[in-house]
Amino acid sequence: MNRKHYVATAATFVALGLVLTGCTAAEPAPAEDTATTVTQLDAATITVYTSEPQEKIDAIVAAYNEEQPNVTVEVFRAGTGDLTARIEAERTSGDVQADVLLAADSATFEAYASDDLLLAYTPADVESLNQDVVDPEGFYTGTRIIPTVIAYNTTAIDTPPSSWHDLTDSEYAGKITMPNPDVSGAAAYNAAVWMNTDDLGEAWLEDLAANKPVIADSNGPVSQAVAAGTQPVGIVVDYLVRELKAAGSPIDVAYPTEGVPYVSQPVGIFASTDAQEASESFVDFLVSEAGQTLAVEQSYLPVRSDVGTPDGAPSMDDITILSPDLDLIADTKTAAVARFNELFQ
Amino acid sequence: MSPNPTPRVAGPVVTDRARAPRSPRGSARRAGRPDGVDAVRIALWLVVAAVVLLPLGAIVWLAASDNHLPLLLGGDIAEAGLNSLVSSVSSAIGAVVVGTALALLLDRTDLRGRRVLRLFALTPLLVPPFVGAIAWIGIAGPTGSANALWTQWFGAPLWNIYGADGVIFLLTVHSYPVAYIIVSAALRRIPSDLEQAARISGASAIRAVLTITVPLLRPAILSAFTLVAVGNLADFGIPSIIGLPERYVTLSTLIYRYIQSGTVESPLEVIATIGVVLLVVAAAAMVIDMLVSRSRWELDASASSAQILPLGVARLPLTLVAWAGVLAITLLPLSALLTQSLLPAPGVPLAWENLTLDNIVRATTAPATVTGAVNSVVLSVLAGIICAVIGLAIGTLVTRTAARSNTALRTVAMLPQAIPGLVIAVGWLIIAPRIGLFNTPWLILCAYVMAFVAIVVQSVSAPLRSTPMTAEEAARISGASRLRALFDISWRMALPAAISGGTLVVLTAVRELTISVLLLAPGAQTLGVSIFSLQQAGAYNAASALSLIITLVGLAGLGLAARRAR
Repeated sequence: MNRKHYVATAATFVALGLVLTGCTAAEPAPAEDTATTVTQLDAATITVYTSEPQEKIDAIVAAYNEEQPNVTVEVFRAGTGDLTARIEAERTSGDVQADVLLAADSATFEAYASDDLLLAYTPADVESLNQDVVDPEGFYTGTRIIPTVIAYNTTAIDTPPSSWHDLTDSEYAGKITMPNPDVSGAAAYNAAVWMNTDDLGEAWLEDLAANKPVIADSNGPVSQAVAAGTQPVGIVVDYLVRELKAAGSPIDVAYPTEGVPYVSQPVGIFASTDAQEASESFVDFLVSEAGQTLAVEQSYLPVRSDVGTPDGAPSMDDITILSPDLDLIADTKTAAVARFNELFQ
Repeated sequence: MSPNPTPRVAGPVVTDRARAPRSPRGSARRAGRPDGVDAVRIALWLVVAAVVLLPLGAIVWLAASDNHLPLLLGGDIAEAGLNSLVSSVSSAIGAVVVGTALALLLDRTDLRGRRVLRLFALTPLLVPPFVGAIAWIGIAGPTGSANALWTQWFGAPLWNIYGADGVIFLLTVHSYPVAYIIVSAALRRIPSDLEQAARISGASAIRAVLTITVPLLRPAILSAFTLVAVGNLADFGIPSIIGLPERYVTLSTLIYRYIQSGTVESPLEVIATIGVVLLVVAAAAMVIDMLVSRSRWELDASASSAQILPLGVARLPLTLVAWAGVLAITLLPLSALLTQSLLPAPGVPLAWENLTLDNIVRATTAPATVTGAVNSVVLSVLAGIICAVIGLAIGTLVTRTAARSNTALRTVAMLPQAIPGLVIAVGWLIIAPRIGLFNTPWLILCAYVMAFVAIVVQSVSAPLRSTPMTAEEAARISGASRLRALFDISWRMALPAAISGGTLVVLTAVRELTISVLLLAPGAQTLGVSIFSLQQAGAYNAASALSLIITLVGLAGLGLAARRAR
């Protein structure tokens, strides 16, 4: 390397820096909406923290903005753990910076509610919703039914398992994968539900552990492993399987006959919001007919019965849902996860 | 003027100055009067205080707000700590061995096709570790392609990547390029005169390299080792994807357990406590580094250029071994990425009629990807430049001047390497509202600088540790001030290392995930986050396509840089 070269490199870096800084500065401001229809709110900006995949939340915001063009929705998307870290860090130094949280499971929201972080709000048209997902105190409302089911690779598995008990059959030894309750909030919840379901319980978990399932990171890698055939059977949330199937993967889903545990991806409003009306209208939209129709298009099971179910999913009446006592789950979750970790060493 | 007895002879001289004072100041140092160098030192301390000590302070403050050690001691922290230590130290040894061997083979011998091979060898740097890990599972997972083939041929799988051995292997794969770059920069400063002298005295070529050049590389190898070992302590993607299925928990995956499963009160304080434990481990590593590097070799600069070592009869076998090894660990995951990019979904058989460009189109045209690419490039290039400048200043100051605070300055610059991005991000999130940077890209820039400045500090100190002070002394004799000597001599000598260090920072930052994900303003994106979002959305193949594109663009950039450097 000679000196001319360093000068050239340094100059390139500086020039690149200038050009690119120019690019960001020139980014256009969000376009002003001019459409005028229903009873519209005044201009407001709300910030939504969510674990919803980026493309899906973008579609939700776009659909919401057709109804409420004056409300600007800013989205911060991250995994549940990262969201928790950010919210906790913001609480440490002041108020939570989000107006709306759309993520995770009811346990997370119960914890925030007991810390007085949430605003009580009952969405419009609440009577049309599945009452299991509506918080009686009104701090949060479920927006989707996300059950954990059995996924199987259609190339490798001829007769799919149809119940949780089937999975303990020795023919599935070494062929099962499932998410890690230390990483996935839904998996931790499931462990507690299984432990508290009469005909499953600890005995079933012990039998399952005997088949040495691979404990993968989270639901994403589980569905990927099943589709690729790495482990041909997986315990995973249902919508990922439907999406992979639609994309062409050799994968299908079985809803176990004993019933499926589910999380409801609740939505809640933080008490520190300064755009309460706009936040409430966003919550209303999520559980409205339009919002739920979109959820079904996005492969989710809905929380109301008038919008059908996604292609390839059974109707809601044909799915047995495990809806245990949430207080019991909250009280036993830590112990259940600890037992799970002992069993699945 | 110089207090040490370096003989003034033309050509290379090796001096063991272990016991001699290393100071260039000699009698010329005016007692107690601050000068330009002191001003630079104070300025650097101010920068380090703002970018490193402030967020670290926030983490320590959080950890100290309650005593969570009993909870952690009751949990898996001892086991996780041991696993972290073992995996980072053994992967660092592996990385340094592979990196040094590659540096010698690629930069000093007439191995066939070494320029192209160098590019291949650098690819693991460009693939985000969590993507690399998933690609490797497809190859060496229980039913991965390699194991499936092996089972077909020999009736049993070859090697299951899950568990401790897989974590160590992948950490090594993803960190040997860093070791290679640091060692190779130092190798360029070692004159081949010494080897020639050994050859003239009858030593074989191999013996000359092993007994002359390799020992002279020791300071650089040590720098690379410390950087890689401390950096691997913080890695999250590999242990979480490869280690957790076999219940192999490290401190950085333990952090996610506490933040994610919602089973503890005040999770932030708990993870800050784990962060502090990692800081202590890293500080211990730095002390060991300092003790080991106390005895040192130094080399006078040589006018002759490095000679290529002819491998002779060993040329063909060594070429084959090097190519096979490098291609196996780089091309296998790349081809896994390529197949995934071209297929519509996982599990679709690889056949002509199934191939599609949809993923590549989806990955490159999504608006989030485009803004993510712009943000990532701007932020990582700025971080590269800032780290290069600060790292050059710190690296030269702590190796070329004598002051009690040098070790402290270097340690402080190194510490952030040891803590996972999540903890760094939490530290910045806590101070962000008070410094007015909340939800601005500058917050991410500050965090990148904090996390990556150590890369440049170590790259810069590696070659300088073995260069004697004679040139600076000559400048001082000729009347230059201490500052002038530092600027004109030390900085210029270290500039190539600072530039390669800065490039490493750019390459690491451009695909960074955890820090960016937590510190992004709503609606903003970076490339690492775009890949992760695609992955989370179930668009695994589009995520692979985006990773592949980043790797190829990065390789093209490196190739271009290599051409211009010739």
